[in-house]
Order: sequence, then C-alpha cells, then structure tokens
Amino acid sequence: MTGLLEMREKLKLLYSRNEVFVVPVLKFLLAFVTMTVVNGRMGYMNRLDNLAVVLVVSLLCSFLPNGCIIMFAALFSLLHMYALSMEVALVGLCLYLVMFLLFFRFSPKDSLVVLLTPMLFALKIPYVMPIAMGLVGTPASAVSIACGVIVYYFLNHVIGSATAINTLEEGDAIAKLKLLIDGLIDNKAMVVIIAAFAITVIVVYLIRRMSIEYAWTIAMIAGAIVNLIVLLAGDLVYDTNVSVAGAILGAILAVLVGKVIEFFRFCVDYSRTEKVQFEDDEYYYYVKAIPKMTVAAQTKTVKKINTQRRTASRSTSAEGVKPSGNSVRSGSAAGAGTASGRTTGTRTGSTAAAGTRMASTTAAGTRMASTTAAGTRMASGAKTGTVVTERTAVNRRPDTTARGQKSVTINSNMVENTEDDDFYDDFEEWE
Amino acid sequence: MLNEERVILMTKMEAYAQHEGKKNMQIGKYFRGDYISLQILKSVISVTIAYVVCFAIYILYHLEDFLQDLYKMDIIAFVRNVLLYYGITVVGYGVISYLVYAYRYAKARKSLKNYYNHLKKLNSMYEE
Repeated sequence: MTGLLEMREKLKLLYSRNEVFVVPVLKFLLAFVTMTVVNGRMGYMNRLDNLAVVLVVSLLCSFLPNGCIIMFAALFSLLHMYALSMEVALVGLCLYLVMFLLFFRFSPKDSLVVLLTPMLFALKIPYVMPIAMGLVGTPASAVSIACGVIVYYFLNHVIGSATAINTLEEGDAIAKLKLLIDGLIDNKAMVVIIAAFAITVIVVYLIRRMSIEYAWTIAMIAGAIVNLIVLLAGDLVYDTNVSVAGAILGAILAVLVGKVIEFFRFCVDYSRTEKVQFEDDEYYYYVKAIPKMTVAAQTKTVKKINTQRRTASRSTSAEGVKPSGNSVRSGSAAGAGTASGRTTGTRTGSTAAAGTRMASTTAAGTRMASTTAAGTRMASGAKTGTVVTERTAVNRRPDTTARGQKSVTINSNMVENTEDDDFYDDFEEWE
Repeated sequence: MLNEERVILMTKMEAYAQHEGKKNMQIGKYFRGDYISLQILKSVISVTIAYVVCFAIYILYHLEDFLQDLYKMDIIAFVRNVLLYYGITVVGYGVISYLVYAYRYAKARKSLKNYYNHLKKLNSMYEE
C-alpha cells in the first residue's frame, strides 16, 4: 500500500510539474482515439478515413480547448453520415444542435462525458461511466451521460441501418428520416440504459456524500447493484436483451475503476505550477510558483562493501587514508571528490550541505556511509517539490587506498530518516 | 524591498484571477437580477431554436399525413397546441435556468468576496 501511495504522490508531482506538456499529450491521445474509432466504425467518407487527417485534427485538438475534441468528433460523424445520405446527416445535425442548445449551455465542462460515454460503449465497458461520474461529478452528470447514450445509440442505429439506407431510393428522403427517427424513439434498450445510468449516478452521488465510513466503497457497490437491478428489470419489462453476464462483469469492472478513482480522488484538486505576472508601484513580478508536495517515505538500504576485509586490514589502512582526507578538506565537495580520485558526490538541492560534509569526512571508507546518513536526514526533511534525485557514494577499501575503489549507487528519490546502526558501530570503532 | 508575504499573496490572487476567478469576475460585473435575466433570455432563445428544430423534424416525419389532412385538420387548434407546448417548454426550461444561474451567481459572489478580502489585506500591507 505504501508503494501505491508513493506512486500516487509521484504521479501527482509529475502531473502538477509538467501539466503544460501532459495535458496537450492527453488531449492529443483522446482526440486521436476518438477520431480513429469514429472512422473505424463509420468510415463512409474515404477522404476523411485517412491517418494524416486524423493526426492533423488530433494535433489541433491538443492545444485547442476541450470542447473542440467533441466538436471535431461531431463533425467527423456528420461528414460520414453525409457521405451515407444527406437525410441522415440532417437528423444527426438536428440531434447535435438540440443537445448543444439545451444542455451544453449549462455544463460545457461535462462535454467530455458525452464523448467518453459512446467511447466506453464501443469498448464494451459502459457501466463504468455512471459510477465514475457519481463519484467525481454531480447528479447533473446524469444528463451528460444520457446525451452520450443517445449519441451512441443513434450512431449505432445509423451504422446498423446503413445497408437499408443505401437501398432506399434517392428521392425517398421521408422514408430515410422515418427509419432513423423510429430507430431512435422506439429504442427501448436506450431508454432502459438511460434510466439505469441516471439512477446509478444519483445513488452513487448521494451515498458517497454521506458522512459514513467507507462511503465511497459503499456508494460504488450500491451503484453497481442498482445499475444491475434496473437493467435486469428493464430487460424483463421491455425485453431489451441485456447480457446478464456482461452486465455483471461490467458492474465488477465499474467497481474496480471506482476504487482506482477513489485512490486518486485527492489528486483531483491538485495544486499546479503557476506562472503569473503582476506589478506594483515598485516592481514587475514574474513569479513561477511550484507546488509543495509531502512525499511518502521509502526505506533506504545502504550497501556495505568489503566490510570483512576492512576489519581485517584496519590497522594498516589508517595511515594511507588520512592524507587523502586532508587533501579533500581543502577543496569543494565535488572538486574534492574528483581530485582525490576516490570520492565522487553527485547531489542536488538539499543535499548540498551533506555533500560538503562528505568531502570533509573522506578520511575513511566507512565515513562515506556517514555522509550518506547525513544526506538521508536532509532528504527526509525535503517536503518541497525539489527532492534529492541521485546520490553516488564511493566507498574506499582501506587497504587499497591509493589504487582501487568501489562504487555504491543509491538511487533514492525519497529516503526515510533511517540510520544504519551497524555503520555507526563501525564508525565509532574506526574512530 | 521585497515583502515575501505580499508576493505570496499577490501570486495566489493572480493565479485565482487567471483560472477560476476569470469566470467569476465576469459574473460579478452584473447585478443579480441583470445576470439572471440575461441568462434566462439566452436560455429562451436557445430553447426556441431547439423547439423550432424539433418541430421541423416532427413536420418532416409526419409530412405525408399533413399533406393528406391539410384541408381537414383544425389549423387553429393545431397552432394552439404547438404554442401551448412551446410555452410549457420555455417556462420549464426558464425555471431550470433561473435555479441554475441563481446558484451560480451566489457561488461566484461568495468566491469574489474572498478575493476582495485578500485585496483589502494586500492594501493594508502596502499601507504598513
């Protein structure tokens, strides 16, 4: 669990630091997947079903606002519908327009839900959506999901009726129109799914807001059960042919996804890196504010090399070591390490002080480990975003002071304030 | 001389003004009544266009029936029904709009009040 928490903190840190790059990349990926799925499922217009077009549009979406992804997705689907038949495109346009006018005025932020719901349907995991939105959204998200469900069933109906539409005569526009509208209005499965998802969103939202223990877990399990019950009840009443096994598996998957969302829920309201400019009467300020992060600790392990040989040759090595220690003291930390040819210290930020100490204690191989402990203490206090990145210590064999050296690399981004008792024993003994 | 506390406060305020504050400041320019009225007016226009679109689709769907019964049907009753449904839709949507935008206005004012308190605090820092 500690490892997971650590990973979460790292992800949070990574995201908040690199939001400028991460968000466009995610938007690009979402747009690319969406356009590819639309082209793959519909693909009636050959000119649009082209990787270059998809890439260009995805790149555009990566730096345009979120709403543009849904706009381009709608445009792609409309163009494919137009290639199939103008009447189909007309009905599609009317549907999108009504949704835009009535719904997106209220919650433009939820537009991604309308995009993701059909995507999840295409991936056969639609039951995740109501539980996820119940956990992170509001009851109003039920409307967004309903819009997504309508879009999915409409597109599905268009794809399913493509052959029938093609066989109808050119002039029989009314028949095509009726075919599409009947398919949309008389679709009982769609109505049942909308009802089930809406009830699930509300149930999950209400339970997770309760001040009870494990509210989130109870909410997602209750939501999954309610969803299942409504779907099965709808199946009994309207004979919608809902796959019971699929619904159960979907509910289990939805709960698992819900657990993942629960795990990351505190990351939703993250502090991001801010670059702001302002001025007062005296100064212009160009400020870059980086969020502080409390990073979970990781147990540090210190490798000891040649401890047996060192103990054996302790009496003979002291003499050879001391001069090098003296020479190190005269230089700076990194310089001393390089000049002595025995010690290398690579450190950043808060370990600089530890590094200096390292330089002054190069008299014995074991003292290097002492420096590591000092570095550890520094790192454990480093709650800020700038964390120790790498520390390289070279432990010298006392009996081969002039010639040989062994290196121990401790890669520890976050190290706990642990001290190696054996080391201190050795150190005292050495003193 | 740079005052660290002042710079931190100004940075936080500027960050707010760049993100969440931008929308709230737009809302804060209006009186409550003006803001809600304007939004309801926009909603009425939106719902009218949506209704016209739906009505057009309805007419197209029933075009054959209309053409058949054009001389038999009671046009006035039909228009009255259409207007009645339109009125119900507009009123329903208007009420929802009122509730949503009244809530949003209250939320934005609350957020801006906090921002103005910070402004006052900053001002007092400069006066010290």
